[in-house]
Amino acid sequence: MRFFLTLALFLGFAGPAVADPARLVETAIAEHVLPGFAELTEQSKALASASEASCKPDDATLRAAYNAAFDAWLAVGHLRFGPTEIDSRGFALTFWPDPRSKTSKALANLIRTEDVAVEDPEVFATLSVAARGFFALERMLYDPAIQAAGEESYRCQLTRAIAADIARTSALIERDWVEGYAPLMLSAGTGNETYATPREAVKEFFKSLSSGLQFTSELRLGRPLGTFDRPRPRRAEARLSERSLRNVVLSVETSRELASILAAEFPEIDAELATAELRVKEQASELDDPVFASVSDVTGRLRVEILQQSVDSLRNIIRNQLGPALGVAQGFNALDGD
Amino acid sequence: MRLMAIEMTSRRTFLKTLAATGVAPSLTWADARAPSFLSAAMMPDGSFGLIGLDGLAAPLFTIPLPTRGHAACVHPVRPEAIAFARRPGTFAVVIDCARGETIATLESPPERHFYGHGAFSRSGDLLFTTENAYEIGEGRIGIWYASAGYRRVGEIRSGGIGPHEVRRLPGSDILLVANGGIDTHPETGREKLNLPTMRSNLSYVTQDGNVLDQVELPTEQRLNSIRHIDAGPDGIVAFACQWQGALSETPPLQGVHRMGEPITLLPVPGDLGPLAGYAGSVAVTRTGAGIGVTYPRANTYIIWPDGAGSEGTAHRLTDACGISASKHGFVVTSGEGRVIEQTGASTNELRQMPCSWDNHLIPVA
Repeated sequence: MRFFLTLALFLGFAGPAVADPARLVETAIAEHVLPGFAELTEQSKALASASEASCKPDDATLRAAYNAAFDAWLAVGHLRFGPTEIDSRGFALTFWPDPRSKTSKALANLIRTEDVAVEDPEVFATLSVAARGFFALERMLYDPAIQAAGEESYRCQLTRAIAADIARTSALIERDWVEGYAPLMLSAGTGNETYATPREAVKEFFKSLSSGLQFTSELRLGRPLGTFDRPRPRRAEARLSERSLRNVVLSVETSRELASILAAEFPEIDAELATAELRVKEQASELDDPVFASVSDVTGRLRVEILQQSVDSLRNIIRNQLGPALGVAQGFNALDGD
Repeated sequence: MRLMAIEMTSRRTFLKTLAATGVAPSLTWADARAPSFLSAAMMPDGSFGLIGLDGLAAPLFTIPLPTRGHAACVHPVRPEAIAFARRPGTFAVVIDCARGETIATLESPPERHFYGHGAFSRSGDLLFTTENAYEIGEGRIGIWYASAGYRRVGEIRSGGIGPHEVRRLPGSDILLVANGGIDTHPETGREKLNLPTMRSNLSYVTQDGNVLDQVELPTEQRLNSIRHIDAGPDGIVAFACQWQGALSETPPLQGVHRMGEPITLLPVPGDLGPLAGYAGSVAVTRTGAGIGVTYPRANTYIIWPDGAGSEGTAHRLTDACGISASKHGFVVTSGEGRVIEQTGASTNELRQMPCSWDNHLIPVA
């Protein structure tokens, strides 16, 4: 019965919703969205320049630029609506998970045939998303198998083409936010067909928050965890560049930032968010295992599972407290999504 | 409810005795108290079940399910229902609704999983299930011999990727398949793996796998995933979509079709906006004229009384999802336990139960 009462509360749509939704949208765009995408554009541009300076896979400057740009993506990677969804740009930046190893196959194919697509950014942008973005570049910089394939000069061209394409895609996303989507969301409720009310726009941010953390829990952590009988450490995200744990932490940080903006008028919820975020970060720093290699042994696995539970408790605060407080909670069927 | 349970038990005992003496009669839906509808639901205690409802939505029986259900399909003659787990499920249970027992479990073969919908052949001998051949990323229709213990006897191509729902066109053995177009892999749950190239279609397929007709939405609506379908008499088909693109570019989420003709999209009335880009379920009235679609994320359902030739009327219902034709109109269910009958302009609350109705309300012919 208790379960049902909780459910009934959770499904209670109307909610008091004291916060001014238009204000929340304004803050989220000004303090979270636009600075995040500006940083992505800048870091991606720096990455492209670094690849021009040296395309050697083990070049420290190039690798640092790669990591800085990937970090910048993590800060906005949960905002999967609007400009990131045009022309599959989000996928063109991060094609993962990749259970059929399409990225390796696509790159091997380009290298073997010395595809001329690398010579023209417009043509390169039409390639399969598996051959583009941060995970393709990761293979170029960190995968010994790819580094042994084909000619060095072609691989160099390919590295530069991928980096330039990341910069191009990032710049397009930012441009569309600044010129189109930010004004669209800010005009919610004034004859705006996409967002009939400012609360609809808040709901969009709320959804991106929950699906971003769901991705972190179920895929970034769930994939390497596999099952108890069959842990799958090699399935960790960005394992080659040893960013697996880092991506979890960064995604939690950016989610907390957006959640706090939305929780502006609910300090008690924000306090709980802060505690939950701190727990994730403490556990992550104690883990000392950047690629979740330890999921194969019992104690290591337990610690990664505990980290996953902490991410889930952050999700639960967002879903069970923040959603209803904002009046944007979703129902039994609306949530199922099938 | 309690009284009914006792009735059911004694009835079951009686039937079991009959079965034991080897004179088991051929049961019909009348033996299951002739429900008008079936729906999966989450019970107040968090458990899951399949519930049979009469025409006024009074519950006739509740049969426990091991996990959350998605849809069911019903045998045309025998009181048997197939209850499917949520995607990506690997099993479905065959329930004898007269005896309240599970009589068989379908397990998807290696490298296949179910999408959550199925349909019987006209005679009821064969059951067809929508499946994902996930290692190669192609849709399949699994074929099961319903008259011999639901043994798997084969499979055919679905005509696309991600076949979500299959229906039989009334009065024929032609299968209608909604190929949603989205490639997924059980390793990555419901993560969509091919949005950059996805393309959905409606396929009309014979039982031996010949594609009689196949239609797609216009290229600019490539990201509209045709997910749910219903077929009325004389070949009218209605479909409902889930939009995978930017909300600001949401096209109509619903339309009608007839084999051999082009698709007609149904615009929504007034300024309803994109309806969260998400339709949950669709139904065609028994006359074939009316179309009803639910939008759980927009807490709305819309009825077009005369299909493409009519203006739709929108109604508010929180978490509205299941919809089925009823005698005179539509019955709609919600995640908050409500059962609403919509007949013309009149909205009538048939019942509110302390459960969450799952995605689909299935009519029992």
